[in-house]
Amino acid sequence: MSLRLKLLLLGLATLVLPWAGCRYAREMESALRQGEVDSLNSLSQTIATSLQGRTDLLYRESAAETGAHAEGVAESTATPATDPDFYRATPYDLEPLTLSAAPLLDGYAEDWPHDPGAWSHFEKDPHHRFALLTGVHERMLYLLLEVHDEHPLFDAPGNNPLEPSSFGDRVWLGFEDPQGEQQQVFIAAAAPGAVIARRVESGEYGRQSARLEPRIRGAWTPTPDGYRLELRVPLSLIGKGFGVLIDDRDTRGALPVSYGTLRADDLHTIGHLILAAPQLNTYLAHFLQPGLRLAVTTPAGRVLARADALAQPTGLGTETPMLERLYRRFIDRPGERTPLIAASPIYDRDHAVEIGQLEVTRSPERWIRLRDRALTHMLNFTLATSAIVVGAILVFAAWLALRLARLRRASESALTGTALVTAFPETAARDELGDVARSFATLLARLQEYTSYLRTLAGKLAHEIRTPLTIVRSSLDNLESEEVPPTARTYLERARQGTERLNGILKAMGAASRVEEAIGGAERVSFDLVPVLASAVAAYRGAFPERQFGFDCAAGEVRMRGAPDLIVQLLDKLIDNAVDFSPTGSTITVRLLPEPHAALLEVDNAGAPLDPELAGRAFESLWQSRPGGDTRPHFGLGLYIVRLIAEFHGGTASATNLPGGAGVRFRVRLAR
Amino acid sequence: MKRLIAIVEDEPAIRDNYAAAFTREGYAVRTYANRAQALEACGARLPDLAVIDISLEDEPEGGFELCRQLRAMSAELPIIFLTARDSELDAVSGLRLGADDFLTKDLSLPHLIARVNALFRRVEALRRPAAAAQVVRRGALALDAERMTVQWDGRVVLLSLTEFWIVHALARHPGHVRNRTQLMDAANVVLDDNTITSHVKRIRRKFQALDPKFDALQTVYGMGYRWVE
Repeated sequence: MSLRLKLLLLGLATLVLPWAGCRYAREMESALRQGEVDSLNSLSQTIATSLQGRTDLLYRESAAETGAHAEGVAESTATPATDPDFYRATPYDLEPLTLSAAPLLDGYAEDWPHDPGAWSHFEKDPHHRFALLTGVHERMLYLLLEVHDEHPLFDAPGNNPLEPSSFGDRVWLGFEDPQGEQQQVFIAAAAPGAVIARRVESGEYGRQSARLEPRIRGAWTPTPDGYRLELRVPLSLIGKGFGVLIDDRDTRGALPVSYGTLRADDLHTIGHLILAAPQLNTYLAHFLQPGLRLAVTTPAGRVLARADALAQPTGLGTETPMLERLYRRFIDRPGERTPLIAASPIYDRDHAVEIGQLEVTRSPERWIRLRDRALTHMLNFTLATSAIVVGAILVFAAWLALRLARLRRASESALTGTALVTAFPETAARDELGDVARSFATLLARLQEYTSYLRTLAGKLAHEIRTPLTIVRSSLDNLESEEVPPTARTYLERARQGTERLNGILKAMGAASRVEEAIGGAERVSFDLVPVLASAVAAYRGAFPERQFGFDCAAGEVRMRGAPDLIVQLLDKLIDNAVDFSPTGSTITVRLLPEPHAALLEVDNAGAPLDPELAGRAFESLWQSRPGGDTRPHFGLGLYIVRLIAEFHGGTASATNLPGGAGVRFRVRLAR
Repeated sequence: MKRLIAIVEDEPAIRDNYAAAFTREGYAVRTYANRAQALEACGARLPDLAVIDISLEDEPEGGFELCRQLRAMSAELPIIFLTARDSELDAVSGLRLGADDFLTKDLSLPHLIARVNALFRRVEALRRPAAAAQVVRRGALALDAERMTVQWDGRVVLLSLTEFWIVHALARHPGHVRNRTQLMDAANVVLDDNTITSHVKRIRRKFQALDPKFDALQTVYGMGYRWVE
């Protein structure tokens, strides 16, 4: 793993910041939510308290009651305000729905809201039961009555409705009028279709008549298990109590089975019609804010009035920036978008009886938006911090890697190379890298001292050995002039041969330093490389008859600046080397390839391939790898001289194996 | 009277060996181990030829200094540098200081004696009037083998002995390539290729100093040199 990657991973550790921020946001969110719940509770309590004892605001009937009081009707015992029973839900109470549209009086339930929970069920026994749905729309009370009757029975048509023998199934409505009088109407139908209620009136002499009550009308429809009755009653008729009674007969004129929410003996009401006062909506509207829903319910839970602004925008803006939406995706938990609900009971004046309930619902949008806003700010900040930190680390890592790479390159080139590294990089730095660089520089300086000592050692040694060698040779020369017995002359000759060999060794040892000196004194001239090489190759043909020499050069003229003598010397060394390593009779090819700014000189020989690991070292000083059995002195300087001359010409020297192990190619690039 | 050769050499064995060889050849020899001795003795009596080692005891370049001082005493005294060093720098410095020849110690004694004899011949020849028969003419070049002098367009080119022999070997057979070994044989020296190259360069420079268009001495790369008329 590279240093850069490691530091980058380290930098990514700063992502713990946004993570911690998210955690914090969640904490904050639950606190916020709690605060929101608390404020909602206190709001609902405030409104509930403001409604305490205000039955007149809550209930329509009590408003009627007060009206009655004002007219002096004595009914003090049972005013809704004081009667605790009024607010205690009884099974006979009817809580009408608020209808958004008036149902068509056609006997069908399709235009009623589909709300199974809103039905009131009354059951005397499994054979005698009915379900009632009530609703209010614009001062009208609507009833939908589903009666279970195995034998629906219509009145005998055409007869006096008061004639008992013609009685079929009948439905009684009983209610208290605004004056507190008990009133009853009945609905009788001789056939399916529209019906009009009738009121039983006692005339003179106890004569009873059934007069039509045209304000109460509806429709009668048979159903598979009984009949359905849809009715409309103006609310103005009704004061407090309201009830329905079914007279079920299986044969005309028979004694009915009566059941319902009216007292069966005198048809007086038991239950009430629980209906909100008309002002309640207006009152609630005072408290309404966007994103809020207020509802007043009866103690039993039926909604009396509702003010709804839940879906209204809260003024914090609905536009959600893309970034926020992205953040939300990570933060949102399911279910947190459900609205908050707080409920408070509404009591009567004495705080003894619960007369209703206030329910406040607040859309979660407000606090989620607040949370989102805080979260967005926080995430933006922490992510930006992370990005900056990661960026800074990346830059730092790149810089560090750059420095390290520079150090590495410098030490590599100092080791493999050529050039004496005089200015080692980073040594001026005050940090640990600078320390490393300084120790490296010291190390390399030592190494260079050592190498240059080794390099000059041969020359120095040659010089030092030359004096004793001269003594030996001059002594031998003198001895030649003396009277020496012929037997001793043999030894003299051997001694001379020995000194010659020693002399050869000395020459070889000093070769590199002589070339260095020659390079130091060389002059650059502009010349054509082609004839120089051609002439040299022609000379090699004579010098090494046991090898074939090829000279490939497509270009007619390759001009360059340099020292032709040195170039020839370079070629000498390469050819020497090629001759030494190639089998007798093989071909040595010299190739000149001109490049735009360089001349490429290649010498191929058919010798054994180089060990690839050692190929790079072939051009180092005092390095050699020669087959055994070679008696000539070698100090590994030949190719080093090649390199020196190549570098003098601004070039490089390299050795590669020819494909297929066909031999070795030495390549020298000379700048033109 | 025997010619007097002064040998200034700090290595006793070499000194004595050279002295023995020169004595055998019929020269009178005086040997000195350092510059002070040599200078004192030469001040008393100037030798006919001086063979000087460059490094003398504790003076690494004492020979150069001695050469300069001897040259100050006599402009004609033939001086041969003899040294274990064969580096280019030494050769150039020695010759610039007025030495007549510059030889390395790996030169064999017979070679050395041949050079010394040649130098004496040259000294003698210079004292005699020029004998026209000895002069080789190749175009602008006039080469007097007896006096070992060279003229180009009638102007004297000052060449060292080695340089003269190189020019002589080449100019005698114009157009023929002489390789380095042949040149070394002709000059009675054993030199490595680079030294031959620098000798040739120096010869060219000396000619070019008189005639910028001089290009009679050509390099045949890989083979050697030739003289072109």
